[in-house]
Amino acid sequence: MIARKDSLSAAPDGQGPQETFVLNLGPQHPAAHGVLRVLTTMEGEWIQRAEPVIGYIHRMHEKMGENRTWAKFLPNTSRIDYLSAMHYTHAFVGVVERALKIEVPARAEYIRVITSELNRIASHMVWWGALLSDLGGLTPFLYAFDDREKILDLLEGLCGARLTYCYYRFGGLYNDADDDFLNGTRAFVKHMPPRLRMYRDLVSDNIILRKRLEEIGPISAEMCRRYGATGPVIRGAGVAYDVRRCEPYSVYPKFDFKIPTYPQADSMARYLVRMDEMEQSLRIIDQALDQITAGPFMAPKVPRVIKLPPGDYCYAVEAARGRFMVRIVSDGKEMPYRLKLRTPSFSNLSLFEEASRGMILPDALAMMGSLDLVIPDIDR
Amino acid sequence: METPLKSMGQPTPQSFQPGPQPAPGSERPVECSQIAQFAKLDDLLALGRSYSLWPLTFGLACCAIEMMAAGMARWDLARFGAEVFRPSPRQADVMIVAGTVNKKMAPAVKLLYDQMLEPKWVIALGNCALSGGPFNFAGQYGIVEGVDKLFPVDVYVPGCPPRPEAIIEGILKLEEKITGKRHFPVAKLKE
Amino acid sequence: MNATLERLTSQFVQLIGPAAVPANLPVRAAAGPHEPATAAAIPAPVPAAAPATVPTAAASAAVATGTPAAPKPAAPAVPPPPPPSPVQVVDHALKGYHFDATVSPDQVVSAASILDREGFALDAVTGVDWIAQSQMEVVYDYFHPVNGLRAVVRTRVNRAEPELATISNVFSGANWHEREAHDFFGLRFTGHPNLTPFLLPEDATFHPLRKDYQP
Ligand code: SF4
Repeated sequence: MIARKDSLSAAPDGQGPQETFVLNLGPQHPAAHGVLRVLTTMEGEWIQRAEPVIGYIHRMHEKMGENRTWAKFLPNTSRIDYLSAMHYTHAFVGVVERALKIEVPARAEYIRVITSELNRIASHMVWWGALLSDLGGLTPFLYAFDDREKILDLLEGLCGARLTYCYYRFGGLYNDADDDFLNGTRAFVKHMPPRLRMYRDLVSDNIILRKRLEEIGPISAEMCRRYGATGPVIRGAGVAYDVRRCEPYSVYPKFDFKIPTYPQADSMARYLVRMDEMEQSLRIIDQALDQITAGPFMAPKVPRVIKLPPGDYCYAVEAARGRFMVRIVSDGKEMPYRLKLRTPSFSNLSLFEEASRGMILPDALAMMGSLDLVIPDIDR
Repeated sequence: METPLKSMGQPTPQSFQPGPQPAPGSERPVECSQIAQFAKLDDLLALGRSYSLWPLTFGLACCAIEMMAAGMARWDLARFGAEVFRPSPRQADVMIVAGTVNKKMAPAVKLLYDQMLEPKWVIALGNCALSGGPFNFAGQYGIVEGVDKLFPVDVYVPGCPPRPEAIIEGILKLEEKITGKRHFPVAKLKE
Repeated sequence: MNATLERLTSQFVQLIGPAAVPANLPVRAAAGPHEPATAAAIPAPVPAAAPATVPTAAASAAVATGTPAAPKPAAPAVPPPPPPSPVQVVDHALKGYHFDATVSPDQVVSAASILDREGFALDAVTGVDWIAQSQMEVVYDYFHPVNGLRAVVRTRVNRAEPELATISNVFSGANWHEREAHDFFGLRFTGHPNLTPFLLPEDATFHPLRKDYQP
């Protein structure tokens, strides 16, 4: 395979001795997780060039941001990356709180952390099932959704929605967490570790999975840096970059958790990072449940009509797929002047063209699965 | 089926809108069954079709996750015979348009619909597929405001996203439409 | 102050500083729409008088944040000759970034190279349409994957002729970000390998995030 790679790079623009053909993948392809289109130039089974073509689910979020008041844009945030809706809402309320200098009560921050981490586990469960069904095993999908439903039940009891929560408000939360939620979360924290151990025994140690992922799709730390890839992709390349540590927000500094990294930089490393991250999320939830105290869940003085002081503000969070940042420019009016959403999947996918050169197609799809793409998150 | 929890705009089974029923032969190609009627055989075929609907694996956006959830163990669409998701339009009977269709994607969606074999049905899932949903605002430049602008829709399922119960109810509605008779009980809401 | 920030500050002052030397640094007339007469008189690609650069950049910074530059906290200990506003160290808790520099459009590549040498990664490339000043602001966000610093580099181009050099030779990831900015704002990145519609349909000719866009 390595030798093959060299011969390919010798003839990168279709001038080589081998005949090439163009294979169009998508925009409706079951392995592309949505409406991603990849225009591949193939040399037999080998990819000479795989260029993602995006925009098939561009939904004008940034334009909408300029047409809506701050509060009215809030529901949109859970629809950008619908699998980690909590994190995205967190970034948006965070940027408004930063601009208005609103102090969020401790209880609200703890509940935000708990729900965010629950959401992260739910998101990773979907990724896990989807990756394995890409690789040919549908059964884990059923298990993954089973565990995910437990999380969704908890979050639904809290805010009424299963997927698009829109639970955080400027200065606090939509409503307080009741004992049902807290006890349910405690039960879930106990329930999940044996399941994760089972997944490790059944799937992660499975020789077929290892053969499909190990040494497949290497993405070095340097490549991550050049493309701005974040999240499990850069952590799978051995760099402990995590917004929760590097730009601490909310009450994350109060928790003791590890940032899992693997230096191998292959698809398996990214797989293992996510599996370990779920354990760390459970640890965070466990600590948060111990530390949470009674108190108000909304800041006392949040203006009814929100007008931010002029200027630009950023707020970044660690979403399930990596660094998500909201950059706003306010001109002092009731609506943002400009709203930029920096989404992790966009940067993570942008390295696909370079990383997939010289791979065989099934391996490239395995690597794409390990990037954990959510297409509306790319297109926005 | 229980009442949805704190209502956050979640649909109740009653709120389904009936789709616009195309007059026979007006929008659909004339089927053999419209020329020659074999009453009992047709009924039998319809019954068979309605309980073995093969949906197209076709996720667009958020609603697709709920569609997947509906097929998984908790909600188990298999109880109603619609769990065999086929990736190829040639093998599918029903297209569940789950998510936003934008102008770049619209030709591809239309092509998929055209590639499906008769008889075929369409379920528009979620507000985006109904009308553009949250992305339908004055000055929008990108989305198709409802998939019924592209091809006829048989069942509309509102919600953003619709709950899995609503998706199952949509399938049941479609089965009712195919056979002309509701075989499963209608969920009753508590007053 | 953090050592990386110190190095960044001095390098950016170096970068922007020589601009004050007349006739050394060609500046697009487009860079100075504060003087409408000049901008109208000289066609865009012709170099204009350089001394205007630093004050212009300073003024842009003030416009960019919409506030007078004074309330920005933690103003750095920059040597006096260039005014401190084009290069600033900012309180992260207030703004969400640590470092803010305003450069002229032809310095964005050098700015990117400085940040590349310091080990930063590209976060995003954003346009902001300042229609009232008939300017287009381009904001480059960077983050540091190891120490978590955030840097912002901003520049302004003429709204009618929004053209500046691509940084995709420095950061490969800029390729996509610049295509997106081209889609939304019609910014033309010279030297970009493939500036075709990206998120918009293949045949799109409109730029929806310009403030004067009518569907
Ligand atoms: S209806 Fe709502 S949940 Fe469904 S695709 Fe549209 S925005 Fe997403």
